[in-house]
Amino acid sequence: MATVELSHISKSFGTLKAVDDVSFEVEKGEIFGLLGPNGAGKTTAIRVLLDIFKPDHGSVSILGGPMTETKKDHIGYMPEERGMYQDIPLDRCLVYLSTLKGMEPMEARRRISEYLERFDLASSRHKKVKELSKGMQQKAQLITTLIHNPQLVIIDEPFSGLDPVNTQMVKDLLNEQRDKGVTILMSTHQMHQVEELCDRIVLIDHGRTVLYGGLNEIRKQFSGHAVIVGTPDILPTLPGVEHVEKHNSSAYRLNLSPTTNTQDVLRTLVEKGLHIDQFEIAAPTLDEIFIRVVQQDDLEQGERL
Amino acid sequence: MRKFWDVAWHEYSRHVFRKRFIFALLSMPLLLALMVGMVILVIWLDSNPTPIGYIDHSGVLAKPIPQPAVKWPERYITMVPYSDEASARADLQSGKLQVYYILPADYLQTGQAQEIYLKEPKGLSTQQFDSFLSTNLLANQPKDIANRILEGTQLITQSADKSREATQDRIANIILPFLSGILFIIAMSTSSGYLMQAVVEEKENRTMEIVVTSVSPGQLMGGKILADIAVGVTQLLVWAIFIVLILIFGRSYIPFLSGITFSLGTVAVLLAVMVPAFVMICGLMAAIGATVTEASEGQQVMGLFTIPIWLPYILIATFLQNPNSPLAVILSFFPLTAPMTVAMRIGFSNIPTWQIITSIIILVISAIGAIWLAGRAFRLGMLRYGQRLHWKEIFRLQRV
Repeated sequence: MATVELSHISKSFGTLKAVDDVSFEVEKGEIFGLLGPNGAGKTTAIRVLLDIFKPDHGSVSILGGPMTETKKDHIGYMPEERGMYQDIPLDRCLVYLSTLKGMEPMEARRRISEYLERFDLASSRHKKVKELSKGMQQKAQLITTLIHNPQLVIIDEPFSGLDPVNTQMVKDLLNEQRDKGVTILMSTHQMHQVEELCDRIVLIDHGRTVLYGGLNEIRKQFSGHAVIVGTPDILPTLPGVEHVEKHNSSAYRLNLSPTTNTQDVLRTLVEKGLHIDQFEIAAPTLDEIFIRVVQQDDLEQGERL
Repeated sequence: MRKFWDVAWHEYSRHVFRKRFIFALLSMPLLLALMVGMVILVIWLDSNPTPIGYIDHSGVLAKPIPQPAVKWPERYITMVPYSDEASARADLQSGKLQVYYILPADYLQTGQAQEIYLKEPKGLSTQQFDSFLSTNLLANQPKDIANRILEGTQLITQSADKSREATQDRIANIILPFLSGILFIIAMSTSSGYLMQAVVEEKENRTMEIVVTSVSPGQLMGGKILADIAVGVTQLLVWAIFIVLILIFGRSYIPFLSGITFSLGTVAVLLAVMVPAFVMICGLMAAIGATVTEASEGQQVMGLFTIPIWLPYILIATFLQNPNSPLAVILSFFPLTAPMTVAMRIGFSNIPTWQIITSIIILVISAIGAIWLAGRAFRLGMLRYGQRLHWKEIFRLQRV
């Protein structure tokens, strides 16, 4: 059974339809990417999912049914708009937010100490939150998201404001959580992070689902029949290749005829004695897919209007 | 339920243990203590212990009995007899006397005496001479009659059912409920202001989204309202302790304070009016906090509510003249003006029971309504950043 199920959710604010008939499922133990351009309706979808907003239509099932107060203790949420009490010491803020997740203060303090050590924040524990840097506050926010060992983590833009070292640490942390069986729903604009971390994605634009499924299937779906060949040599004319274009300074993109097999192309290249540095099926990056889908959707929206 | 208490304790402790709060808490009693101190200082400065002389030609002070002792900080003045005016004048000029009196032979018939001074003596000095004179004039009277005459008349006004009375020297009892009302409203405004601020702050610093995905809005608002009422109660308790201390220590020196007594009935009515009023104001402030986007904007809206709350205070003269006028009755039934109006009227007159009960019922209903409003405004407005929630949206029929 899916950990999260959104079924035909719609939510409007006045005349603005923020989410329009969106459905997706997040399976247990996966990292799921919720993608979309700014203002696409991602945050509204998350808020509906968390029962902050009631949907106008559709239903939500989370951890096997509607949201309850008890379930809130099993969900870790890091909103896009970071929020911590600014005027109190960091450890007091963390203890309070942990107790709101049903933890005993003693246990909360013990785990907070561990996390503060791990996140290199131990020396700042008595500092007021407002005295911490943006990156430090971001890490502190992550602690409040994970401290109570949630079954489901919903995290909005987890990498914003982090330097490469901390970005890697967060990635390791998310992978570690997935390995423990935690389900993670991640909303981000950083496509390379999605490619690296996510198993499946949903892409929302103008409040509607425009792409949904496993990352590999989606990429396959968008890949044309082409290969990328990296070689210092000049490419000869090859059978079954309809068109050759420069991919980058050291590689070519070979668009193949529909009947051509990629293995045959490789064999021909080897037989012709070419020096081959790179040979791969030309799958588009998620960035490219994102732009292509969103532009297409914008076009359709424009036509509809 | 535990989360409710967690929210309440967090909210309570973050206000009460702040320097700002402690300062505000202590400033009022310190101000009162300062006032009592000032009164003591004024009395001390006003009392001149330099002896007073007298030349008695009437024989009233032939065997002088000293005047009764005075209370500190007033200082006792020795009365010095002189046989002739020349020596008294010489002592006055050399500063050994502050004033001297001449009682003529026909003093008992005319009741007139002469007062000679270089610099007009202070009121307390003449009072002591009066007291010296009265003591001696009444020396031959039985003690109880002497006391009766010395104390003078005391006018007691009673209500028809004898349930309430007012006396001249107990004017403090009339304004005490009114003063408690003011203190209550100050405490109420402060703590409900904190509540509004806390709600806006959580919106401003974006903590709200995390908090509402951890506790139910009901627990959150309930905890906050309880905490802020507790903040107000803490404030009132500390003030009450100081006031009682000042009454105990101050009543010996300030005659005004000595007549004060507390009527349980008055206290009960004040509490019955103020508690729902407190909850109502808290609810309204929370609702304001949920609808506005910035603390400064909230302060402005709060001002609009503050005006009707203090309105009866402006009408104090009207209420004094006729505490049971139709205006006073109407204001007792309007939720925002009711607390102050009732507190004032209860001191000035006897409010009919049905009016008190109606007022309490209206306040309780208003309190429930304000909490409902706060909950709804909160649910709709908690995550509106930079965009104000309109009041009509709160009342519009929609799923929240």
